[in-house]
Amino acid sequence: MVKKNPEEVSLRFAFCFPDDYEIGMSHLGMKIMYHVLNKREDTYCERAFAPWADMEALLRENNIPLYTLETYTPLHEFDMVGFTLQYEMSFSNILNMLDLGGIPVLSKERTGNMPFVLAGGPCACNPEPIADFIDFFVIGEGEEVTPEIIEEYKKWKGSGESRDQFLERIAVIEGVYVPKLYDVSYHEDGTIKEVKPSSPIAPAKVKRRLIRDLDAVDFPDDIIVPYVGTVHDRIMLELFRGCIRGCRFCQAGFIYRPVRERSYEKLLDLAQKSVEKTGYDEISLISLSTSDYSSLPDLCNNLIKFTESEKVSLSLPSLRVDNFSLGLMEKVSKVRKSGLTFAPEAGTQRLRDVINKGVTDEDLVSSVQLAVAGGWSSVKLYFMLGLPTEAMEDVEGIADMGINLLEACRGLPGEYSKALRITLSTSCFVPKPFTPFQWEPMDSMASLMEKQYHLKDRIKKRTRRIDYRYHDAKLSFMEAVLARGDRRIGQVLYAAWKKGCKFDGWDEFFSFDKWMEAFRECGIDPEFYANRKRKFTEVMPWDHLDMGISKDFLQHECQKAYEGDLTRNCAVGCSQCGAQAYKAGICTKAKRGASENG
Amino acid sequence: MAKALRFKFSRSEQLKYIAHLDILRVFERALKRSKLPLAYTQGFNPRQKLVFGLPMSIGLTSEAEYADIEFEQDVAPEDFIRSMNSSLPEGIRILEAVEQNINDNIMNQITAAKYEIGLETREDISQNEMDNILHRLLSRDEIFVLKKTKKGMRPVNIRPWIYSLSIRKKEMNSFLMEAFLSAGAENNLRADLLMQAFNQETGLEAKTLAMHRKALYASSFNKWQDPFEVANG
Repeated sequence: MVKKNPEEVSLRFAFCFPDDYEIGMSHLGMKIMYHVLNKREDTYCERAFAPWADMEALLRENNIPLYTLETYTPLHEFDMVGFTLQYEMSFSNILNMLDLGGIPVLSKERTGNMPFVLAGGPCACNPEPIADFIDFFVIGEGEEVTPEIIEEYKKWKGSGESRDQFLERIAVIEGVYVPKLYDVSYHEDGTIKEVKPSSPIAPAKVKRRLIRDLDAVDFPDDIIVPYVGTVHDRIMLELFRGCIRGCRFCQAGFIYRPVRERSYEKLLDLAQKSVEKTGYDEISLISLSTSDYSSLPDLCNNLIKFTESEKVSLSLPSLRVDNFSLGLMEKVSKVRKSGLTFAPEAGTQRLRDVINKGVTDEDLVSSVQLAVAGGWSSVKLYFMLGLPTEAMEDVEGIADMGINLLEACRGLPGEYSKALRITLSTSCFVPKPFTPFQWEPMDSMASLMEKQYHLKDRIKKRTRRIDYRYHDAKLSFMEAVLARGDRRIGQVLYAAWKKGCKFDGWDEFFSFDKWMEAFRECGIDPEFYANRKRKFTEVMPWDHLDMGISKDFLQHECQKAYEGDLTRNCAVGCSQCGAQAYKAGICTKAKRGASENG
Repeated sequence: MAKALRFKFSRSEQLKYIAHLDILRVFERALKRSKLPLAYTQGFNPRQKLVFGLPMSIGLTSEAEYADIEFEQDVAPEDFIRSMNSSLPEGIRILEAVEQNINDNIMNQITAAKYEIGLETREDISQNEMDNILHRLLSRDEIFVLKKTKKGMRPVNIRPWIYSLSIRKKEMNSFLMEAFLSAGAENNLRADLLMQAFNQETGLEAKTLAMHRKALYASSFNKWQDPFEVANG
């Protein structure tokens, strides 16, 4: 934990994670920003988390405002209160934390020297549903833009200027979005007519910020080591940002482009310093797709030497299964071989082509065979239901794939080939902004549930060695509304929070009924946002943000999806998504060429 | 210099709500940061050779916890204390360390513990009256309380595990109880369970304000001994 004298800094920053401590302390972005901010002598960044319901009751009962863990300072005493937006279903917690922290929930009610409330993170790529509550958003990566904001704050503080004048000062910084400087008008059918700046200062399009060279920015090696076990209680080494794959459902695959790698020399150095400073005995490699890291063999061979001598274990999530990665896991695995997880996402080749998931049945069968022969005893497969163009035979394909895998592994060497357990897990596809499916309707709840039951039934009739799990369609429906909502959703969020909605991502708290009541009271139809097919010509609530991906490219990808036409990945060749304009990372490297279509 | 040390440490107010297993990890990580030549267990999942005398329940502060640690090379007690105190978080301090060279580890040696328990009764009670209450309680042959055992919640007679109890009035309804209790791998009586029995038997509904461990004891040849005295057999 960083300790500073709050009296001696110009800016006190409360970094708020709108979920509980165990989740929040597992979040790499928070560790990075905590480190970047606290490296500055003029800034003190502290942390706050959403208190669990029992703690909240005690805080409210005793009139104790929500405080930071470093100095027990109430949130309302900070200069800036920043939230990270990792998941739409944590939005209600933002309102609740502001309220608990003694800060007016609505941006327009904040006056004088009350804190500025900001937010950033992946869900900031559609900031509109929470625009009523947030003074300004940071779009894109925060390492460089946040210091620029702080410099403006220092100039503003004590200048006698108003709050609005501060917001105008920062509205010109690339990557800063001040929602109150934009007006939204609507057509009669409820769609957006126009989003345009109400001030001459505000840019018509807010451009996302990005770090061009990851080696050049600070990465924390002195992270806080929590006392209690957190979800990811280990050293996290970020290999790269972005993903070359371009799976059409995946927001992360588009909004972090282009792929920019950290050098393996830098990573090795970070690994050693981190172990030295934290005493952790586990390191995990973090990225959207570990196998795509270009220096993976070099990194792993060197890392393994170090981890073995230091008695540190290494975990490698997001690996594609092949002989190399299995050999690697064999070498690094300090724990029993238990479960392997695969994400084919769809049950038939046709649908996998639609989503540009370049995995074939043969790939999968051989991967699972390799794993089982290597001694893995259980395999988990993740799918989505409700993908665009999905038919019942695609749904049935999920069950059939599980059964085929069981059969393909019968008679293999390996102690578990006869006792292999397969878990099939389905989530509900939620169309997200800045993906080729941003125009797509989400499948209806009734249809999703029907598919879930059908699948359950089909599996149960054929085998008992497959376990089937599925996500709550109601929760996904709400996620869909918030993900593609516009400013009018703000009043619903406010009403839902007033009814007690919080920790919506947690089964024990989520109340679909309260949310539906809130929609009814506000006269807003949630299906308009979740289940409506949008025209390519429609103005999207997030169209005034430029995430670096062109709308034409997304539209082209959407059309290719309908035809089941694959798009090559960025390592093979450029598909002109728009991110090449950043002239960074993989966009500046030689391509492998069209010989491979993976 | 020795390859094994027994050390004594304290846990203060600010870390009293950290559970025992989490404290264990605090030590493991601090040891790793200290760069001392730690000894590890063999096998698939190498672990530090660190054994604690007695778990600390949540809410307990202490000035006398003990643990044994093994190294690959000789480490001087004062070097151990210095490097650990610079790598441990605030709230845990190593107070003393001695060489240890017996096979019996601290966990098997601890047999008793001394606690100070701050409590508050609902009404003002005189010292005399409180002494009588305690006397009546201790004159009983059996005191049954529900205790969590391996077989679930079971009524257990804790009377044989209470070696002595005394109480001192601080003011009005606030008291400080000193309890000398059986502790260790067998017949462990926790301070919170004692207070549960106290309330159950006296009907006082006293609120426990603080629980503090004053000392741990090993026993040999029928006398109580400081765990450091038995560190070398």
